[in-house]
Amino acid sequence: MKNVILLTIDTLRKDVLGCYDSKSNLTPFIDSLQGSCIRFTNMQATGPYTQASFPAILTSSYYLEYGREKYLSPKKTLISTVLQKSGITTAGFHSNPYLSDYFGWNRCWDVFYDSIEDEVSEEVPYIKGDEINGKVKEWLSSYIKGGKYKPFFLWLHYMDLHEPYMPEKKYIDMVDSSIDLSRGEMFNLFKETLLKRDLSDKGKVELLKKLYSVHIRQVDSYVEEFFELLKKIDLLEGSVIVITSDHGDEFGEHGGLSHDGKMYSELINVPFLIYNHTQTRGRVSDTLVSSIDVPPTIVNLFGLDREESFEGHSLLPLEEFPERGCFGEAIDKRSAHEKETDRPIYYYQNKEFKVIYRENTDSWEMYDLRRDPQELNNIAEISPKVDRMKEILRPRLGRWLGKE
Amino acid sequence: MKGYQVSEERTREIQKKIGESKKIVRQAFEKFRPSEAAITWTGGKDSTTNLWIIRQVCLEDNIELPHVITIDEGDAFTEITDFLIRILKRWNVDLKWLCNFDVLKCCQSHLGCLVNVEDLNEQNQAELKRIGFEEDSFTFEAESYAGNHLMKTVVLNQFVEENNIKALFMAVRRDEHPARKDDKYFTKKEGGHLVPEHTRVAPILHFTERDIWDNIKLHHLPYCSLYEIGYRSLGARTTSNPMEVGIPAWEQDLENTVERGGRRQDKEKAMGRLRKLGYM
Repeated sequence: MKNVILLTIDTLRKDVLGCYDSKSNLTPFIDSLQGSCIRFTNMQATGPYTQASFPAILTSSYYLEYGREKYLSPKKTLISTVLQKSGITTAGFHSNPYLSDYFGWNRCWDVFYDSIEDEVSEEVPYIKGDEINGKVKEWLSSYIKGGKYKPFFLWLHYMDLHEPYMPEKKYIDMVDSSIDLSRGEMFNLFKETLLKRDLSDKGKVELLKKLYSVHIRQVDSYVEEFFELLKKIDLLEGSVIVITSDHGDEFGEHGGLSHDGKMYSELINVPFLIYNHTQTRGRVSDTLVSSIDVPPTIVNLFGLDREESFEGHSLLPLEEFPERGCFGEAIDKRSAHEKETDRPIYYYQNKEFKVIYRENTDSWEMYDLRRDPQELNNIAEISPKVDRMKEILRPRLGRWLGKE
Repeated sequence: MKGYQVSEERTREIQKKIGESKKIVRQAFEKFRPSEAAITWTGGKDSTTNLWIIRQVCLEDNIELPHVITIDEGDAFTEITDFLIRILKRWNVDLKWLCNFDVLKCCQSHLGCLVNVEDLNEQNQAELKRIGFEEDSFTFEAESYAGNHLMKTVVLNQFVEENNIKALFMAVRRDEHPARKDDKYFTKKEGGHLVPEHTRVAPILHFTERDIWDNIKLHHLPYCSLYEIGYRSLGARTTSNPMEVGIPAWEQDLENTVERGGRRQDKEKAMGRLRKLGYM
């Protein structure tokens, strides 16, 4: 049996990757994996920020299933629970405070590192990807020592693309040596422009986008370092590696910055690659899939029976996957901070259209994804198909009321 | 600890672990003079064990006991204060009580009171700025983000700086939290703005919660009465709770339940980070 590794990269937009047609050449290593991957071009996250999207990635459920949850609901089944029950070793390494022990994400991991006890810098309050790699390396090396070990599920998560964007000089020089900012200036861009969602100075927004690009390059090198490690300890051949992201990032596309409660493609459309799966080498699929399908796919990769509580479906074998469209939900906030009065926002999309409902304003939006992939022209008032789209989304609105 | 038994095998194990701890303490004394070192003592089971071991080494090797300090967060259990006073007399310890009186003054020592940042002295204001706290006020709670920093970290840093301390003996244990798994006996803390450089020494790093209780039993160490009524881990009064009410700590399922389950610190750490990212 192969081991399965889930590598999630926080805040990674799909369109910055070379393998997804970016011309910026920021991800030479990830791009080089194509020959040994199945790559999905149409993967949608279930929400635009960590709390809204990670329930799908690790529990195959939607964020608001039981209402606005502060902690991961004990009614939700973590992938680690399903696998640990079946005798698979489970290990998780990350530095996202929303996924920490405190918020209930530590259930059923044989090893769970959330970095909360470790010291972090004052400006960037998380552990960097190379340190995550270091922790993983230490664990893996001791775990496989002696050669006899149970198959494992390893989840690692890099935070480095998440604001504040303060990349290392080495990577700045690799991407754009004209960026000449001190760390104080970079932090100030975060405090004064990004946190305030201030789009008035186009130059500053461009600068933020550049710094984000540098981080992409930095993360690509962490991915490479991780693959090198696997190769060195002879685990690359015996592992399936699933790579995806929890959401993207906005740079003014829909009037904002960072990743607030919006459902547009720059936040929702994420990369998704399955590496080293023998049946799927070098394949590209435009099947419409969702993060909700990640846990069932992992269960399937271990050859285990479908977990009944999971809402998604295994993507392998792809021919048997029921393509039904994607849903998502979040709290419709317009800043990093979520207010008590902010209400939910929902989306549903198929391959042609996306419909969005905002409870804050009781309003509908609809976009023709083929003619208007940037989602700039709302056709909710004019499209003859709007009623059918609304009909599919409507049963999901407020469905937890009374269950809370 | 009536009826609590420690087997012969466990006794040997504990002796071995104490031997290892003493080795670490001796290594520390090779590097640092006792006057440049300080021992933190909260009155909890771990720091009492830690102090006991260091004191043993000092007695055996005829070394002067380093400074012993305790931090008053303004929210202490009277049971712990009583315990500290009782034991410092018995062990002849010259205990230094550290406290950020400026903060206490601003909230008249009342928990839950609002502290206006502009009422604080310059240094406390600078410290809040350093940790990215930008609100005008905060509620005085020992383990809140701003409160925790001012009441604990700041007074400790100040003490280290003013007394030219090079080494701090602390009672952390690897099994306390998965994240401590890879901790080292000696950790050098780099200095920075308002943070003096020093080395942290953790002589009982390899002790488990069970080892602590077995050792307390074996060597008749004193312990705070709160452990008898179900507390497993002691922090500030308002943020610590018994794990199993009425069941002494040593009789609980130490191996399969979370020691710090009754505490709120992890929450505050997670919240502190989210705040820095602008989420709170």
